[in-house]
Amino acid sequence: MKRTEPFEMYQPTSLKEASRLLKEKGPGGRFLAGGTDLVIAMKEKGLVPKYVVDLKRLPGLTGIHENKDGRITIGALTTMREIETSPVLTKKYPFLCQSAAEVGSIQIRNRATVGGNMSNATPSADVAPSLIALQAKTTIASAAGERTVALEEFFRGPGQNVMSTDEILTEVTIPKTSSRLVGEYIKFSPREMMDLAYVGVAVVYTLGEKEKTCEAVHIVLGAVAPTPIRAKKAEDALEGQILSEALAEKVGALAAEEAKPISDVRSSAEYRRAMVGAMTKRALLNAAVGPAKSWVERRDRRY
Amino acid sequence: MAELTVVGKPVTRVDANEKVTGEAIYGYDLVLPNMLYGKTLFSTKAHARIKRISTEKAKAFPGVVAVVTGADVPWTHGESIKDKPFLAQGKVRFIGEPVAAVAAEDEDIAQAAVKLIEVEYEDLPVYVDPEEACKSGAVAIHEDFPKYRKVDFIVPGAHANIAEHFKLRTGDVAQGFKESDLVLEEKYFVPMIQHAAMEPHSAHAQFDKETGRLTIWVANDAPFRALHEIAEALGMPKEKIRFINPLQGGGFGSKGGLKVEPIAVALAFHTNGRPVRVKFNREETFISTLTRHEAVVYSKTGVKKDGTLMAREMTIYWGAGAYAEKSPTVCIRGSLPAPGPYRIPHVKVDGYAVYTNKPVAGSYRGYGIPQGAWAGEQQMDEIAKRLDMDAVEIRLKNIFVEGDISYWGEQLHAVGLKETLTKATEAIEWGNKPHQIKPGVKNGKGFACIQKPTRSPTTSAAGVMVNTKGDITVLAGTVEIGQGCNTILSQVAAEELKVPMAKVQMHPLDTDVIPYDASTTSSRSTYHMGNAVRRASIHAREQIMEAASPMLEAKTQDLDCVDGKVFLKDQPQMALTLGEVVRRKFGPEGVVRGDGSYTYEIGKDLDLETGHSDHASAFYMYATQAAEVEVDEDSGRIRILRMSAAHDVGKAINPLNCVAQIEGGVVMGIGSALHEEMVIDQTGKVRNPSFLDYHLVTSLDTPELISIIVECAEPEGPYGAKGLGEPGLAPTPAAIGNAVADALGIRIYDLPLKPENVYWAIQNKKKKDAA
Ligand SMILES: Cc1cc2nc3c(=O)[nH]c(=O)nc-3n(C[C@H](O)[C@H](O)[C@H](O)COP(=O)(O)OP(=O)(O)OC[C@H]3O[C@@H](n4cnc5c(N)ncnc54)[C@H](O)[C@@H]3O)c2cc1C
Repeated sequence: MKRTEPFEMYQPTSLKEASRLLKEKGPGGRFLAGGTDLVIAMKEKGLVPKYVVDLKRLPGLTGIHENKDGRITIGALTTMREIETSPVLTKKYPFLCQSAAEVGSIQIRNRATVGGNMSNATPSADVAPSLIALQAKTTIASAAGERTVALEEFFRGPGQNVMSTDEILTEVTIPKTSSRLVGEYIKFSPREMMDLAYVGVAVVYTLGEKEKTCEAVHIVLGAVAPTPIRAKKAEDALEGQILSEALAEKVGALAAEEAKPISDVRSSAEYRRAMVGAMTKRALLNAAVGPAKSWVERRDRRY
Repeated sequence: MAELTVVGKPVTRVDANEKVTGEAIYGYDLVLPNMLYGKTLFSTKAHARIKRISTEKAKAFPGVVAVVTGADVPWTHGESIKDKPFLAQGKVRFIGEPVAAVAAEDEDIAQAAVKLIEVEYEDLPVYVDPEEACKSGAVAIHEDFPKYRKVDFIVPGAHANIAEHFKLRTGDVAQGFKESDLVLEEKYFVPMIQHAAMEPHSAHAQFDKETGRLTIWVANDAPFRALHEIAEALGMPKEKIRFINPLQGGGFGSKGGLKVEPIAVALAFHTNGRPVRVKFNREETFISTLTRHEAVVYSKTGVKKDGTLMAREMTIYWGAGAYAEKSPTVCIRGSLPAPGPYRIPHVKVDGYAVYTNKPVAGSYRGYGIPQGAWAGEQQMDEIAKRLDMDAVEIRLKNIFVEGDISYWGEQLHAVGLKETLTKATEAIEWGNKPHQIKPGVKNGKGFACIQKPTRSPTTSAAGVMVNTKGDITVLAGTVEIGQGCNTILSQVAAEELKVPMAKVQMHPLDTDVIPYDASTTSSRSTYHMGNAVRRASIHAREQIMEAASPMLEAKTQDLDCVDGKVFLKDQPQMALTLGEVVRRKFGPEGVVRGDGSYTYEIGKDLDLETGHSDHASAFYMYATQAAEVEVDEDSGRIRILRMSAAHDVGKAINPLNCVAQIEGGVVMGIGSALHEEMVIDQTGKVRNPSFLDYHLVTSLDTPELISIIVECAEPEGPYGAKGLGEPGLAPTPAAIGNAVADALGIRIYDLPLKPENVYWAIQNKKKKDAA
């Protein structure tokens, strides 16, 4: 690994100070969270930021809070490991913990933050599909104030998001959901761990009270388009229906049609498309069965 | 033989502590006083003439001490074919070939200066496929090939791009096929892969004008051979060159020959006596050092209905990359046993080492055996299936056993193959059909057998010193590449001198003081250097016994040694410590030195027309590995559930170390089976030169491993030992391939068995079945 070019670094202790810094210094700066994307970009990919603003001293940006109204807010600096092991999330949204657990290794997850994963906007970002499927919203702050953007609208392309350079992602909020909500995330890659998703599929739906119909279906695909995308035709095909293996297969096939994968050194577009179908089907069926209880079970269920 | 006290015991590695605490200094860590930092400019063209190089801007850059190009260093080197320039001469032959180098006060300056060097190229046709590269009409990648100096066993091929053509001729294959009831002919492919040692490559060099001496610090696996190659290239007397070997952070074959050394040496002649360090990063190591040969293997086999092998004909194209490196010997030693460890009356093998415009290929743990086994062992299973025979049964009918004459004309002894076959297959309950539990997931079992020769003939020499404290220092040129040789050789010295392990230490490796050793390659060290250290230890012990004889007033034959003491056999209380004997004989600073060497005496040289030899190898290693796998039909993803590996090691000098070697080998073999491939496009560019897209297996991808040690003693080996370093991964891909074929009923001919490749094979079969 190369040494980085010399750079200036700031460690503001309030949001105000941070945005003032950005105003003064002008464009070309970068925020630093866990650094698992940024530092590598600087050391290996020739990124030379004019200056770096460390967000880790800003108060109130970490932690997972369950609000009285049922919303859950996750601070942007919350690590993947915290999400993975959070008792609140494990109980309510085990598949979200599962998607965080798919990131890199424990060492990486102890540093990597959810805000970094979103802001970096890699199409294969592992936590994005589950959060979009939960209809999460982002809170974005700057000197000018705060705004809220649905995570589904947040991504603009590989490495691109809706934030301007002086905006900071402060938190991600999951709206109140039904107690009958189920979900699953499957990361498909050749290795068990330490791999990028070739395909990521998150499915979330609410089971009807009596008839086990699938309602409020959300199917979100990662790594098969310039941004994470919803497979809306597939969602529609399942909406209000009772899940069966044949239906899961059909919904998977629709999701595969909606994917826009590319061919690269890792795999061909055709294979990625086929895997969207297979993994969507599997995720839908797994969600109905309930969450995996252990890593081994999670691994076995990918097959 | 007296009972062994240290040899054969699971002794903890002598270097365990320094390595797990991070204290060990590897070649890559080394910092020398007043050192300069070197950086290399690599070719961006796979095949091109160099029209112009301008270095003015780089030379003028502040902090730059030297800039060198091919014009400054007109030397070439090569182990068996002298074809590789220190820096490109007039043309480049692969992307990653060193073209120029800079030495500067720090690494950033060197890197910035390298970017200022301008090179103008004129493109030439690029060959990325070894079969294409030797078709008539293909231009010569080395125009001067006929003029290169070559060692005498090289047989160039009919085409200018064939660096070596190995021939094996036994019986008459046409006749054999005629007499067969079933003849099967298939094409297999093994891609180019990377050694992926944890430590990337580096070298340090210093030239002292006053003494005319050149010193090179490098974790090379064969310092004496590298020294010879440098001396020969530079036309310098060997005494003027010194190699100092720091610890090596793994090499797996990639750190033999000359890699970074020529660049460091080229710079060292232009730095006014200051040492230069050249360190490659991972990408540079990927594209510019060494790879394992891609191989196209055509295999045709004829059998009788009862499974008796009649004839086997194999044609193997070994993709050598742009320079010959060890390709000729990989071609010879990989092609010779490619037909497998079987009695076959009619055999014909043609092995071609073919130049291409890809990164250089050379030695890689297994030295050509995995490629042959991938084809041969899968074809054995396919034959068994067509004959409706059990895969074990067909092997048992044909495998080499004690006293067999091999198809290359050598009578075999110490053949532990059958035991490995039985034990490895039993360990995965071969007879029991695998359970099919999950829908859409298919289970299967498979195995593969191999036989591996070692580089022969070769020599190892060693010294053993005993001081007045009774401390033992072993001087041996075997390189600790992570394989555990320092532990094994210490055990041998401790055994023969009857001292505790803690009394023995290994001398650092420096060619100025260490006796000659051929190389730390080819699984040869335990056998060759083990013998040399054993002899040197016995020599030292005899001198001590002789010195002790008058001191204890006894004849030497009445003396014995145990626990660091010499004593009278019938009066054990009459004893002297080894140190005391040395002190009384030679004074307080005295040392007793024993010397020993071992050379395997070869019989007749390999016959270049028939490939026959009555002693092709000092010993042979035999192994069988068996795998149980699960294949997800919807994704093509393979999971290995368990794997057994039975290896005939002759004698396990350290069973713990043997298991570690087997496990390490199998894990590496699983990577090459399931994931690893260097993706190289039509322009010769490596598309995945990093661990992001070049997938090694992780601990989570590793199945239950069952290591089995088989001991079929080799009479010439120390305590009966053979070797073990390489075979650990040789049968692995073929065993997995056979298990996958068993699971799916589909034979996959090309490695790696990555999910996508398996998926399309399944889809194609579905389409065929539907039609
Ligand atoms: C070995 C390894 C394995 C990995 N494996 C995976 C994997 O399996 N799956 C996966 O999805 N990712 C993986 N990653 C990528 C990375 O770990 C994640 O994307 C991680 O979540 C990034 O978070 P971070 O806090 O480290 O971000 P940083 O590197 O600190 O920042 C990333 C980018 O986001 C910006 N940024 C960060 N926080 C904010 C904020 N609050 N507001 C505005 N901008 C912000 C930064 O300026 C920077 O441009 C891996 C990385 C490594 C090194």
